[in-house]
Amino acid sequence: MSIDVKNVTKKFGDFVALDDVSVSLPKGQLTALLGPSGGGKSTLLRIIAGLDNADSGSVNIEGTDATRLPPQKRNVGFVFQHYAVFKHMTVAKNVAFGLEIRKRPKSEVERRVKELLELVHLSQFAHRLPSQLSGGQRQRMALARALAVEPSVLLLDEPFGALDAKVRKELRDWLRRLHDDVHVTTVFVTHDQEEALEVADEIVVINNGRVEQVGSPDQLYDEPANDFVMSFLGEVTHLSGISLRPHDIELESAPRLAGGVEGTISRMLRIGFEVRLTVLTVDGEEVSVVVSRTHARSLGIAEGSTVWLTPAAGATVIPRMAAVG
Amino acid sequence: MTSALLGPPADIAGEASTGRPPRRRRTAGPRNTLTPGAGLGLGLAMLWFSLLVLIPLTAIIVTAGEGGWSSYVDVLASDQTWAAVKLTVTQALIVTVVNVVVGTTIAWVLVRDRFWGKSVLDVIIDVPFALPTIVAGLVLLSLYGPQSPLGLEWANTERAVMLALAFVTLPFIVRTVQPVLEELDHDVEEAAASLGATRGTIVRRIILPSLAPAIAAGAALSFARAISEYGSLVLLSGNLPFRTEVVSVRVLSFIENGNTQSAAALASVMLAVALFVIVALDIVQRRVANRG
Repeated sequence: MSIDVKNVTKKFGDFVALDDVSVSLPKGQLTALLGPSGGGKSTLLRIIAGLDNADSGSVNIEGTDATRLPPQKRNVGFVFQHYAVFKHMTVAKNVAFGLEIRKRPKSEVERRVKELLELVHLSQFAHRLPSQLSGGQRQRMALARALAVEPSVLLLDEPFGALDAKVRKELRDWLRRLHDDVHVTTVFVTHDQEEALEVADEIVVINNGRVEQVGSPDQLYDEPANDFVMSFLGEVTHLSGISLRPHDIELESAPRLAGGVEGTISRMLRIGFEVRLTVLTVDGEEVSVVVSRTHARSLGIAEGSTVWLTPAAGATVIPRMAAVG
Repeated sequence: MTSALLGPPADIAGEASTGRPPRRRRTAGPRNTLTPGAGLGLGLAMLWFSLLVLIPLTAIIVTAGEGGWSSYVDVLASDQTWAAVKLTVTQALIVTVVNVVVGTTIAWVLVRDRFWGKSVLDVIIDVPFALPTIVAGLVLLSLYGPQSPLGLEWANTERAVMLALAFVTLPFIVRTVQPVLEELDHDVEEAAASLGATRGTIVRRIILPSLAPAIAAGAALSFARAISEYGSLVLLSGNLPFRTEVVSVRVLSFIENGNTQSAAALASVMLAVALFVIVALDIVQRRVANRG
């Protein structure tokens, strides 16, 4: 295991940011800490980096107990949401910083900086100041700066959070490919489930200072441990006591399948290829259903039509919990 | 690392082209970017600047030059004048150096630390600057003059000059550094720490270069104010020739004796000193700011 967090608790005043959290992150993987804002995921990342200290518990990085080590001694690379560039230094100087303070020979520093700037596609910007770069470029520079010292783990705190949607998506793909290439153990914090599902090898879902579930993107999506994980990873609706995804409900215009729940379409909204329906069942439940436009047309449904709902075969289904929903 | 494997994301491909700006169509006409409104503003600024600064300064230099080079040299060759120049510049430099250290420290404490009475201190910092200088002189006289309640009788000594200068120039560096320090991103220091930088390295290579322009601006203000100070030090220093007489007092006595030309000559020398120090500070600041 590359990072071992054991029984970490952290309080800010009365607020419990992390409540007895334990996670183990294997070497060489790209792990996402996913959860809603204020859930404790950034705090966990900062405790791993040594930027915050845990009230209790331990952090072990690559076999050494790092709990009491200052950030300087942990050999971690940290990338911040708002880039944290050294404004008065050129891009090349920013990247060289960690190597220079380690008193590496000048030729080695130059070679390494050149290599890293090529890796992040910023070679032609080496002599510019960070203020002359776009947000995406600044974040790539920050990444190169963090990688320069060959950290044993790379930690990214909402790295793409401050970027616009298009650049965010591009950098996300690029980070995945970079990781496949560089293979440094990487942990990134995000509140965007799509980002986590797309990029990560493994996802740790954190909510209210606790780990809700750990698993691969497929595991989390197909076998969510609870209602929270299920609803955080995608849309959820409820049908006769179970939680399931709106697109996992079979819609029929006649009671053909056993156990079908009868209802009337109270609302119908078409968005491109899909049609979103709100069905009011005879039990008084409001159920969301998503079907393809073609399917909706073949059934000939409209607002006010009577339909029958059944969970599709193979759907991810969990018993509904009272508290969440 | 085979970066060739990683195709550049689309935004990079787009950005790469910005290295070479697209060829712009040449527009005919004057190469002047001033709009009529901006032109008016510039004109007004130049007029105001000329009336208040350029014309009076030129007048001083012209008056100083009236008696020719020899009378100019005579004024400076006078031992009493030379002593006043030396005292003023030395004390102003000392006070500026003290302010750079103390002012930056006070600004740091006010921004980074939390303590009881902080907001009061924050307000009081401006008092030496806001007080009429002669009142400041009176305050100093009652504290450090004859029968000093502190037991420090510094009247009629060089210390009196330094004390008065330090008193009135205290706020300059505090007030220029404070806002810059407040704007400084804490992330940046954390980033440096996680890259292995010790606290000392962070201060030297990250924080100080960011503060350098503000410190230099405050130092220039502080020095300029110090070499021109009059009101706060006349009471305590005693204006003793060769010992505690500063340039502004010397200039005044020239004028009182009807010797305007000598006064102008001395004034032009101080102008040169001020210019030299401000340029020197700018150079130092650029060095420090690029040191990272």
